[in-house]
Amino acid sequence: MALARAVGRAGERAGSGRAGAHPDIPRPDIPRPDAAALSAGAAAALALLWLLVCAPGDAGCHPLTVADLFDRVIRHSGRIHSLSTALYAELEKHFPPRDNELGRPARKCHTSGMLTPNGKEYAQKIPREELTHVILKLLQAWKEPLSHFNQHIEHHQELPDDSLSKAKQISNMVHELKTGVEKVTEKMQSMGIISNSLNGMASSEDTGLSISNEANMMSDSDFIHCFRRDSNKVQSYLKILKCRIMPENSC
Amino acid sequence: MHLGSLLGIFAYMNFTKEMRRVRSMDLRHLLFTLALICANDSLSAGDDLLQWPQISKCRSPEMETFSCFWTAGNFYNLTVPRTLQLLYKKSNEEDWKECPDYMTSGQNSCYFNASYTSVWTPYCVQLASKNEVYDKKCFSVDEIVLPDPPVNLNWTLLNTSQTGIHGDIQVRWDPPPTADVRKGWITLEYELQYKEVNETKWKELKPRLSTVVPLYSLKTARDYEIRIRSRQRTSEKFGEFSEILYVSFSQIGIGCDHCTEEVEFPWFLVVVFGVCGLAVTVISIMLSKQPRLKMLIFPPVPVPKIKGIDPDLLKKGKLDEVNSILACHDNYKTQLYIDDLWVEFIELDIEDPDEKNRASDTDRLLSEDHLKSHSSLGVKDDDSGRASCCEPDIPETDFSASDTCDATSDSDQFKKAAEKEEDLLCLDRQDNDESLPSLANTDLQRQHRSTQSENSHLWAPFGDSVESPRPSVHTQISSQNSLASTDFYAQVSDITPAGRVVLSPGQKSKLGRAQHEGCTEPNFTMDNTYFCEADVKKCIAVTSHEENEPRVQEQVYNEDGYFTTESLTTTVANFGASTAAAPSSEMPVADYTSIHIIQSPQGLVLNATALPVPDKEFNASCGYVSTDQLNKIMP
Repeated sequence: MALARAVGRAGERAGSGRAGAHPDIPRPDIPRPDAAALSAGAAAALALLWLLVCAPGDAGCHPLTVADLFDRVIRHSGRIHSLSTALYAELEKHFPPRDNELGRPARKCHTSGMLTPNGKEYAQKIPREELTHVILKLLQAWKEPLSHFNQHIEHHQELPDDSLSKAKQISNMVHELKTGVEKVTEKMQSMGIISNSLNGMASSEDTGLSISNEANMMSDSDFIHCFRRDSNKVQSYLKILKCRIMPENSC
Repeated sequence: MHLGSLLGIFAYMNFTKEMRRVRSMDLRHLLFTLALICANDSLSAGDDLLQWPQISKCRSPEMETFSCFWTAGNFYNLTVPRTLQLLYKKSNEEDWKECPDYMTSGQNSCYFNASYTSVWTPYCVQLASKNEVYDKKCFSVDEIVLPDPPVNLNWTLLNTSQTGIHGDIQVRWDPPPTADVRKGWITLEYELQYKEVNETKWKELKPRLSTVVPLYSLKTARDYEIRIRSRQRTSEKFGEFSEILYVSFSQIGIGCDHCTEEVEFPWFLVVVFGVCGLAVTVISIMLSKQPRLKMLIFPPVPVPKIKGIDPDLLKKGKLDEVNSILACHDNYKTQLYIDDLWVEFIELDIEDPDEKNRASDTDRLLSEDHLKSHSSLGVKDDDSGRASCCEPDIPETDFSASDTCDATSDSDQFKKAAEKEEDLLCLDRQDNDESLPSLANTDLQRQHRSTQSENSHLWAPFGDSVESPRPSVHTQISSQNSLASTDFYAQVSDITPAGRVVLSPGQKSKLGRAQHEGCTEPNFTMDNTYFCEADVKKCIAVTSHEENEPRVQEQVYNEDGYFTTESLTTTVANFGASTAAAPSSEMPVADYTSIHIIQSPQGLVLNATALPVPDKEFNASCGYVSTDQLNKIMP
């Protein structure tokens, strides 16, 4: 467990260290976290996550606590958010907005129709199950559009390989994060923290499929902008959820 | 400012050529604009230009509320004062709503409290008066998060150095009260900057998540200032700086005012003196008369040198002289011979049966002793055209003038040398295997022996057929002997590893005879599977009743040594000329490799003229044919 935590922290430190390495001068670039370090850390963390989540009966196997699991998924979502921010900056650089960005009307994201808490208070008020459900719904909604986006973006000759690899990484990490959140949910349900009322998941699968058609209409940078926003949502919700479930751990 | 820029432009224009033509007109334009600007300046008292109201920034300190700020512009004074309004609209709404709170954030601001804030919803705000829209901005709240500065900065001493000159401190602070980091709603990064009190440049630390930072190795004699700012973890913009924290060691009683600072290592002085000393040493060595010491420190760089050749000749490009030296220089040639193990000699038969007792050319070449001893090299027929072997690259005209080489060295020596070399190089075919002298390289000897024997085998069948043309051959040969036996053709016999082409000149008269001889000689063994086509062709040519062509002998070696491409070009020219001048009775020889294209200075394309042989399969170039091919050719 300590090893897992250390790996997770190392990954996070690597990500955050790089992110903050730039002086505070207005720059068009957003600090790019070391994608390699991020992914390596993420992969290692999540690999260990699933390895060490073992049955209660196993001897010599230290099961992770919900807190640890939450830490991991929160860190993972933070990495996703950083990557998507960096990718958005790169896309903006390569495909500059035609009109004035400030005057541009709000982008229509395919997840705009989803009912998600849009403030801290709302996030704290809604039941935990619903918050968890919202997180899972969001992750599900982005799974397919991201894979489509990956296929689509590979045909772009002018994009650097860095951007393409970031897009691929994001797609993989979202999948991993969804798996991670599902595991956390299962653990919470098994511990009785939340009830087993997540029956609406089936319907979210369908909505995910129908939504993806809208996603194809957007431009690349709009798409990533939408995703960036949603990844921030996911991260914030996870943090709120964690502090609601375990208020004593650094909350 | 504008005046200055215009003056600058004006000055620049003065210097451009084209402007000079229309100088007068531009001058007038400039003066007019200058006048306008001056007028404008005087009108707007102090302000540069007309400024519209614009939204300067929108900011959310904690991702729960946000505020927008604007500037009013300066045309209030000029026109009727208008009231500015800030209208906002969420993305999913149609109507513009007015700002709910103009007061809380100060003047020219609009404050949206938590109830009006939807974090991940795109907003658009616009600054407008009754009829006009002055500015518009669209954003979403999670993008405009700029946290407040941290509060409650303080520091504690960790430890000091033994001398008391340096000390470590730990700085801690609290996150901004507005940001709800406890619930994890927002995660902040902090950047600490510090400097000595009388310095100007701040030192920065890497942004970090923790609110506790140690600072190491601060000078206790100095006072420091510390400030911190924060930003949201995934954004790039920092918020405002906190208040400055003053660190003074004397306050807590460990200040060491009277401590002298550690003397830093005088790197600069060391480097300067080191360099000077080194320079002095080097100069003294260079100027010293001690050759040994000089050699030790500055060993002489070896320059390319050819023994016996004055490098000046090479430099001046006098290749003729160089080649003549090379050709006639005894030691040089022998040295070259021995080094080249690629030498393959095919000896031509010579009429004189006495010569059968001679050592093979190879043997002669390989053994230095033998080279020096003229006796073993037996004098061949006088009409062997020996002189031709000496200087194949010397123009034919020169050659024809005299029967001997135009060597710069001693004529006698040269003659001897010429005889020697020509015998060696011109490869009189001697099919004597018995009387071989002791050789340095026995392998080569064996090889050449075998080569000889197989050639003799080869030409065995032709023995009879060649008999009849013999007399004519002889006469022709004798007639040819009187000719300046220049080598009109050069055959590429070898390519050295250094990339030079070794040409071996042919000897017409000798060849004719040799070919004849060679074809009749039955003593060849077929040990060696490869032999030059030339040999084969010789026999074929004889059988087909061609005239005596100047034969190329398998001269692997040229007494002139290695030719450079320059020498080759001259050679070619000469050969070309000589070819034209060749008697009509002689046919062009197939086995001479004529230089076809000169891709000077890198290389030559060699092209052997095609010999009209019955067997068309034969390769035109004088390459090596295998036994099978040979069998095909020979009936």
